[in-house]
Amino acid sequence: MREPVELSMQDDNRVNGLEVLDPGYDRPGYWRSRRAAIMERVAFELARRRTAARESVAAVLSGWSRSLIPVGVAAAAIAAVLVTAEARRDAQPEPQLVLQDILGVEADERSFEALLNSDRTASAGAFMTLVEGGNP
Amino acid sequence: MRERTDAELVLLARTGDGDSFGELVRRYQRAAYAVALSVTGKHQDAEDAAQESFLVALQRLDDCRNPARFAGWLLAIVRNRSRNLIRRESLRGGEQIPVSARTADPGPDRMADISALRSRLKEALKTLPEIQREIVLLHDLEGWKHDEIAARLGIPSGTVRSHLHFARKALRAELSEWRGHA
Repeated sequence: MREPVELSMQDDNRVNGLEVLDPGYDRPGYWRSRRAAIMERVAFELARRRTAARESVAAVLSGWSRSLIPVGVAAAAIAAVLVTAEARRDAQPEPQLVLQDILGVEADERSFEALLNSDRTASAGAFMTLVEGGNP
Repeated sequence: MRERTDAELVLLARTGDGDSFGELVRRYQRAAYAVALSVTGKHQDAEDAAQESFLVALQRLDDCRNPARFAGWLLAIVRNRSRNLIRRESLRGGEQIPVSARTADPGPDRMADISALRSRLKEALKTLPEIQREIVLLHDLEGWKHDEIAARLGIPSGTVRSHLHFARKALRAELSEWRGHA
């Protein structure tokens, strides 16, 4: 049982009579029913947001996959090329430079002097051409 | 279990979490009504404005730049919706639904008392500036503290105290006069 409605007020305290302005004052369950009405009103917007949130997660994942697949393919191709090249290099025997081979190389029989005396080296240009391996 | 903060609830509500938004409604529906009532002065309009404001708030939730300050942001929406409602009402000449027609029946005498007091309080509140009506309702009706009101309305706490003091003084004058005549 509620107290009789009475207006009491002190300057520095709350205005007691104001509680009658609360719609729940004489209607128990008012605020619960208002909340239910609001939730009913916003149900569509909440559902829209749930859908948008789900779609945005899927979009992020598919966006990642869209950019990741070509990058992955390219990376795999590069890796394959590198591995193949490495394997090919491994298969070829390294040219072994042995000291004996170096020592065994015969010196050019043509001596510098013979070259200088040759008719083909009459001019400086012809001489340089002959030294560099071309024909005058 | 720890109660979720407004900011957490707002972030969850953005993803369509009904429970989180429902909790925000539970926390602020009374304050929203009080602010709407301080602007419109009519129960039905305040109820409509408060309800519409929650829908608008949800639709614009991504615009709430500081979710921790959801309450102040929501009350700004309530204030604007209420003002728009008044503007529309004044254009089409709205009428007020009598209080007695809306209340449950707690007994004829008591209902008459409540109805009379409500009407008188609403009349008295009309004499106050809007900001004072809002503050006195948030403080004395909803039980918000000075600092809460200050933070949520974005005004200094001293200003809140000052508005509250003058609002109460004015209300006392209005209501004492009425009580003297009753």
